[in-house]
Amino acid sequence: MAKAKDALLDPLFNNNPIALQILGICSALAVTNKLSTALTMTVAVVLVTACSNAAISAIRNHIPNSIRIIVQMTIIATLVIIIDQMLKAYLYEMSKALSVYVGLIITNCIVMGRAEAYAMKNPVGLSFLDGVGNGLGYGIVLLTVGFVRELFGSGKLFGVTILNTVNDGGWYVTNGLMLLAPSAFFLIGFIIWGLRTWKPELQE
Amino acid sequence: MSNDSILKTFLVAFLLCVVCSILVCLAAIVRIDKEAYNKQLEIRKTVLAAGGYQQQIDDGGSVDELFTSNMELKLVDLATGDYTTAVDAATYDQKEAVDNPELSEQIPADLDLAGIGTRAKYAAIYLDKSGTVILPIRGAGMWGPMYGYISVDADGTTVKGFTFYQHAETPGLGAEVDNPNWKKQWPDKQIYNSSGKLALKVVKKGKYNSSAADAVNTIDGIAGSTVTGNKVHGIIRYWFGEHGFAPYLAKLKAERG
Repeated sequence: MAKAKDALLDPLFNNNPIALQILGICSALAVTNKLSTALTMTVAVVLVTACSNAAISAIRNHIPNSIRIIVQMTIIATLVIIIDQMLKAYLYEMSKALSVYVGLIITNCIVMGRAEAYAMKNPVGLSFLDGVGNGLGYGIVLLTVGFVRELFGSGKLFGVTILNTVNDGGWYVTNGLMLLAPSAFFLIGFIIWGLRTWKPELQE
Repeated sequence: MSNDSILKTFLVAFLLCVVCSILVCLAAIVRIDKEAYNKQLEIRKTVLAAGGYQQQIDDGGSVDELFTSNMELKLVDLATGDYTTAVDAATYDQKEAVDNPELSEQIPADLDLAGIGTRAKYAAIYLDKSGTVILPIRGAGMWGPMYGYISVDADGTTVKGFTFYQHAETPGLGAEVDNPNWKKQWPDKQIYNSSGKLALKVVKKGKYNSSAADAVNTIDGIAGSTVTGNKVHGIIRYWFGEHGFAPYLAKLKAERG
């Protein structure tokens, strides 16, 4: 039980893929100007890491060492394509907003990293939880950044107006930087700083 | 069988490929069906929004129903301004036609105010029951191409509505072209002045003077988006010029207005 709990919860703060391992930054910059895109991306990454971890773990005793990475890559790519196609079919506008970044989950080091470092050595159930945990660890940072960027960049949360902006005849002057990708760099920097102040053992 | 034997390696690779390709195929089959419909729905929504039906869509009206009961697709030969049946309107794709040398033509550089290089010979326009026509427009934006629709009254000069459905302008600045508060100044503007000259223009934010004689031809720009404003201005000037819809609108006016 304790192992399962660790697999699921450790990646949230103690071993967060973005804040500690500094993986997956590219998409974290690109899809966080709105909470809705950040949430969809989070769900997509959780599904991909969890399912790829489980699938790879299930066949781990049959994977020839020489084509190990290719096998992992094929499974991950298949899952990402399926998710991308489903988004295009059922959430068309969302898939347009996420554009290439769904496809780029394939190259997200978090997914490959977990497959190689965890799923190849651990049973299916634990690997699945580890995948969910790492997806969520990525998601927590995405959603935090998305929350700040959408609130201060467009005065909205999930598209609902919170701060009435000047462009809509209100009082709030939007912070243009928040709508652009570089702001996510600053925010992720602050998150890393905060996390390492809260948990000094994470400092290198 | 040892995991690292050559036979096992090929076997695992083969089985993996079979399973994965079946899964990808299934996903693609589902997507192909739905995506065509989604794209059509997006165009229909934009056409209806430009045609003044946004309120009805917001109130929960069915896009497909509103569209089929009000809109009629027609092809216009841009050079003459006449309706044409040279190609089948139902299967004609204006975006693809631009890349087809037989269906497109080069725009002379001095006329190319929208920065698009070539344009399709035929424009797919929509006729609304009320007599309004909804015209496709496109042009280079600040970061990428902009596609939209603008609707014009049967008098051939009064704007009824305007909306982009695809652009890559800066969020918070140029992307404010999507802001309903900005778009609402478009209806009732006059494209041509009393002597029939193209007069509609987009000016820099704050240069708009509501008591000026040409206020009815002037759109106030967006704060912080002078470049996008200029691009929209260029798009308007091109598409309502002699190389764009001017011949068609002149005929429309003579016929109905």
